Amino acid sequence: MSEVPVLLQGETEKRLRFIRFVRMARFRTSLWSALVCLGLSLPALQGCGNNPYPKSDARRAIHYRILAEDPKTLDPTVSYTNTEAYVVDVIYPSFFQYNYLKIDPVELEPNLGAEMPTREDYVFEAEEDGQKVRKTGEVWTFRIREDLRFQDDPCFEGGKGRKVTAHDFIYSFKRMGDPAMHSPVLGFVQDKIIGMQEYVEYNRKRLDDKQSGDYAFPIKGLQVDPQNPHVFRIFLNQKYPQLKYLMAMHFTTPIPREAVEKYGEDFKTHPVGCGPYMMKEYKRRRSLTLVKNPNYYPDFYPSEGMPGDAEAGLLADAGKQLPLLDEVHFTISRETVTAWNLFIQGYLDSAAVNRDNFQQVVANTGSGLSEEMVRKGLVLREAAGMSIFYYAFNMDDPVVGGNGEKQKKLRKAISKSIDNQTYIDLFLIGLGVPAESPLPPQLEGYDPDYVNPNNTFDLEEAKRLLAEAGYPNGINEKTGDRLTLYFDNGAGNATARQMVDFVVRSIERLGIDVQSRTSRPNVWQDKVRKGEFQFISYGWLADYPDPENFLFLFYGPNVRPAPNYANYQNKRYDRLFEQMRAMDESPERTAIIHEMRDILAEDSPWHYTFHQVSWGLYQPWLKNVKTHPVSKDVTKYYNIDTEKRAQLWSEWNRPNHWPWILTLAAFVGALIPAANVVKRRRNRRIRKGPGRKA
Amino acid sequence: MFLWTSVIPFLVVGLLWLLIRHALRQPLWAEASSRIKKNRMALVALTIICAYGGVAFVDAVSWKDDKNSPAKSVLDRVFAKMPVEETYSAPMAKTTTGVPHPKPLEGKHLFGTDGNGRDVLYQTLRGCKTALIIGGLTTLISLPLALLLGMLAGYYGKLVDDGIQYLYTVLDSIPNILLLVTLLMVLGNGLDKICLALGITTWVGLCRLVRGETLKHRDREYVRAAKSLGVSDFRILTRHILPNLLPTVIITVTLGLSGLILSEAILSYLSLGVTNETGSWGNMIDAARVELAREPVLWWNLLAASSALFVLVWAFNVFGDAIRDAIDPRLRS
Amino acid sequence: MLRYVLRRLLYAVPIILGVALLTFLLFYSTSTPEQMAVRGLSAKNPTQDQIQAWIVQHGYDKSKSEQFKKHVGEMFLFRFGKSDITGESIGARIREGALPSALVAGLIFSGSVFAGIVLALVAAYYRGTYMDRLITLTCVLLMSIVSIVYIIVGQYTLSKVLKLFPVAGFADGLEAWKFVMLPFIVGVVSGLGRSVRLYRTFMLEEMNQDYVRTARAKGVGEKSILFKHVLKNAMIPIITSVVLSIPFIFLGNLLVESFFGIPGLGGMMVDAITNQDFAVVRAMVFLGTLLYIVGAILTDVCYALVDPRVRLE
Repeated sequence: MSEVPVLLQGETEKRLRFIRFVRMARFRTSLWSALVCLGLSLPALQGCGNNPYPKSDARRAIHYRILAEDPKTLDPTVSYTNTEAYVVDVIYPSFFQYNYLKIDPVELEPNLGAEMPTREDYVFEAEEDGQKVRKTGEVWTFRIREDLRFQDDPCFEGGKGRKVTAHDFIYSFKRMGDPAMHSPVLGFVQDKIIGMQEYVEYNRKRLDDKQSGDYAFPIKGLQVDPQNPHVFRIFLNQKYPQLKYLMAMHFTTPIPREAVEKYGEDFKTHPVGCGPYMMKEYKRRRSLTLVKNPNYYPDFYPSEGMPGDAEAGLLADAGKQLPLLDEVHFTISRETVTAWNLFIQGYLDSAAVNRDNFQQVVANTGSGLSEEMVRKGLVLREAAGMSIFYYAFNMDDPVVGGNGEKQKKLRKAISKSIDNQTYIDLFLIGLGVPAESPLPPQLEGYDPDYVNPNNTFDLEEAKRLLAEAGYPNGINEKTGDRLTLYFDNGAGNATARQMVDFVVRSIERLGIDVQSRTSRPNVWQDKVRKGEFQFISYGWLADYPDPENFLFLFYGPNVRPAPNYANYQNKRYDRLFEQMRAMDESPERTAIIHEMRDILAEDSPWHYTFHQVSWGLYQPWLKNVKTHPVSKDVTKYYNIDTEKRAQLWSEWNRPNHWPWILTLAAFVGALIPAANVVKRRRNRRIRKGPGRKA
Repeated sequence: MFLWTSVIPFLVVGLLWLLIRHALRQPLWAEASSRIKKNRMALVALTIICAYGGVAFVDAVSWKDDKNSPAKSVLDRVFAKMPVEETYSAPMAKTTTGVPHPKPLEGKHLFGTDGNGRDVLYQTLRGCKTALIIGGLTTLISLPLALLLGMLAGYYGKLVDDGIQYLYTVLDSIPNILLLVTLLMVLGNGLDKICLALGITTWVGLCRLVRGETLKHRDREYVRAAKSLGVSDFRILTRHILPNLLPTVIITVTLGLSGLILSEAILSYLSLGVTNETGSWGNMIDAARVELAREPVLWWNLLAASSALFVLVWAFNVFGDAIRDAIDPRLRS
Repeated sequence: MLRYVLRRLLYAVPIILGVALLTFLLFYSTSTPEQMAVRGLSAKNPTQDQIQAWIVQHGYDKSKSEQFKKHVGEMFLFRFGKSDITGESIGARIREGALPSALVAGLIFSGSVFAGIVLALVAAYYRGTYMDRLITLTCVLLMSIVSIVYIIVGQYTLSKVLKLFPVAGFADGLEAWKFVMLPFIVGVVSGLGRSVRLYRTFMLEEMNQDYVRTARAKGVGEKSILFKHVLKNAMIPIITSVVLSIPFIFLGNLLVESFFGIPGLGGMMVDAITNQDFAVVRAMVFLGTLLYIVGAILTDVCYALVDPRVRLE
């Protein structure tokens, strides 16, 4: 080829030019077609966007919520987490419910019940040390509504939900007593309902023989009225005022035996109840949908509330039949960030507000919502929740434990070095109540003016106490060594790590060296149960609004692994507790509670940090929002302005396509000069002939 | 009071220096080093690695002022005057952010402060030591294991080979991340445990490589010659085969370092990372998940940690490439 | 060939047994049955009685060797039993999660292989120009960023700032695409650096081969050299790296799935690990191992099919 005749060179030039033209043309056509394709796909892309729900649902009365994890079980006898309660409580209502609007103080009212139950003394003979003694217990008589029906389900005859009777209530107690169910509340009633103990033991034996529970075994203390199948009685061997709270929890909901027998193990993901909603669909790790139950009894929105409720628009739907929504849709996501982003985009009606996202909500300059939140029209609601967060000292520990005067002083010193208000400001953005005692606000015995002398932050006083305890400036007087404490924790995420750091730094101001020991959750739980710690951070959420549910955390017989993790022992306290437990609310009871509180303050087995405030952020289109400290079946009262929601959704979420189009264009643009380089190189090769390596 | 652990960084640096000097006497390495010296990118990368190493060194030398005070490293002492604020603050800002009552800052923070009010620059610098320990200690665990078992398997063959192959095939068959996570759950928290777990999961690949190379060299003339002269197996392995394996091994190890350093961040995300007291870019990046969701966006923590991580990993990648090109020009890409 | 495959499968048996033993031992040392019971029970403070009942119910009271025998026997019959924590059938959950995982991971995987090959071809075609240098430089940069940062920043920019895709979630059928796009883009970009660099090396290696020189000498155009000769031959190592990662498609991408709420096996595994759900992790490790071994055999078979020089004996 190198011998190409000179004559032909012009010819080659021409051909090359032609080839180049064809190539260019091809390149151009492909460029144009690419542009046309891009242009065509743009409108299609406009249709997409960040809405995670089907378009057809945009204007339906669906309430969108988040579920922080897959429910472990929806079986009302077993389910015990707050997450699950928002699902379980609307499928399985109970005899009582809490009045939705009257929250201070909370008020029980009949739900499935036709009227308030009656309580009478009940005298019975019991055997004690081989001798027969007469004892006084009580009997409760419950009358339920007669228009109750279960939801429609294939487990019933003809697929139609049957009537609910008192037998269904008794059945749920019997399931509770089956050891194979591991019901978390069995301990509440096992020793109180007459005959329950024998029933549990009988079924325990069956379990050891690998037999299933036998619910035909009678429980003497649970009886249906022979004349009226809508009345049942509970016989108790002692006074038990807290039974009323148990009757407001989903553990005592009527359970249809047919469903349990038909679905067996799957009953926990296939709930069949008689509540305002029933489950439509559950997709693991994805979503859970509840839909209005047409068989729900005529339940109406309350027509009176607390002062100010009418002005807040909470009575707009008064007297309307519940539930007000068609569906409740739960998105299941572990990531708090995901939930928060969905909420900010409007795709969740309420935010499961937590420490992580809360700081964004509040204005930088003070309290109240931030500008962005105000602009969006979001509503912030808070109500003191019934909880206590605390640091428990191990009373068996040789350094921080024990009841000696010096040890008490050491605990008090540590306790007084932690600034609860700053803690709340930093991690809860000010929305928590600094705790002075284990009792949260709204409970009997809570006194807003009470100041615990051994718990409130005072660094100077703390240093003085520490010196009196034998560790001036954190140095052990006897050995001259610095006092080293170990803080066991299970801090798994960044915020928890920050909290640990805060406490470590607080105590180190006294001169004490604090080592944090972080373990995996299971190991940490084990350490707590076995008492392998000096002090730990823990929290307790109320089961029901009674001080007994908090004060039992210090009751002697409840030592580890029961929740008296501090292993606190005080005979006098225990006696007072037993006395208080059997009493109804009264000034005398309040006095006893205060006495118990003062004993705790003196012994300081815990540092009380804060009572959580159950705060929530709600979208402007969600109506009838009132945060209740205990109740979880709130969604039946909610209403939604669907027009407003649809409008705001499109307003807040206009997709922006330019960046990626520009990126693509930049890449293609960068290719063109490179193509030229290669082309030039190739042309050079053709001109000069082959034999030259690229 | 001087802490005996402070000797370790001196030992490490000294040992490295000796090794490099020794290696440079050999023609192969001398040539490689002259090639690297001509590669400008490699020199930049090496400088960066040395700078990180310097920070880590400064952070590793620590002592107590008296019996009862905590041990502080040189780095801690440099930053001792830097006040700890209450919570987040933006770079060079005057007040804290994200709290109801912002407070004026006590000091100036070039990169801002994190959730606990600690200076982000200081925290980022503290991460250097952790990253280099994870890279270095893990290699120290996996390398001898891989060399020993790989050479044994390749050299002796038969039953030894079968046994060792079985061992690493079993380990290799378990998806890597699962094995890592499970091991960490067994071993517990801590930097040393992370290194051990990473070492156990990463030696397999290296071992396979060493075995293959040994297999290749076993039947070469020089080994046969040594054998016929009655040289002991141990001597053949250490004096003849090992030096021939080194180039390949060093290339693989250098390129693997960047992966090890990156894995610390991933472990933090799965809450299996290092504990609170250890400076860690992984924990800083993990915190950014939440920080980015806030308004105003708290970006400085993420930016500082991820760029520190990025630069180091980039340097290792570039330097690894340079070493590969220098030692084995055939592999040049 | 068939004999070879059979023999390899037989070899796999002791390996699977070894894996089973290893996972069994490891998980036993992570948590005691008592700890598992505490996590599995819903009560805030389970009593000793409840814990004992749970252990008996889940068969953790038997001797270890007996448990091991039973578990291994069931594994080989693909009977995975029930989850320790939630009590649901593991087989059903795996079937449920396999599709989303396969969809997301499969898309990410094919996307990154495709994009990797294309960019590697571009780099190889324009080799020596600034385009090539730009691509290799970008690759090293991309490789140096930790995947978590891609995920965090990707979600932040694409979903939160630009509002192009939903932040997280999943749906069935065609609705799935809008949820899959974000993990897809993030997944492809985060893996791109590594694959482009790898494929480019493969291609350049082929470019230096004698047959390419011969083809050039024959006057074959640069394009057809690249597509007909180089690409075909470079496919051999590419296929190897591709087939070996097939089990990971099935297992899904742990981080991407748990962050973007894809209800796949990866996310399920993260849950199982955090809940210490021994039964689920055991089943997943077993399946992963099986797939890995099958993948390895497939690689060898593919080798033999693509490259006539390789023979399976």
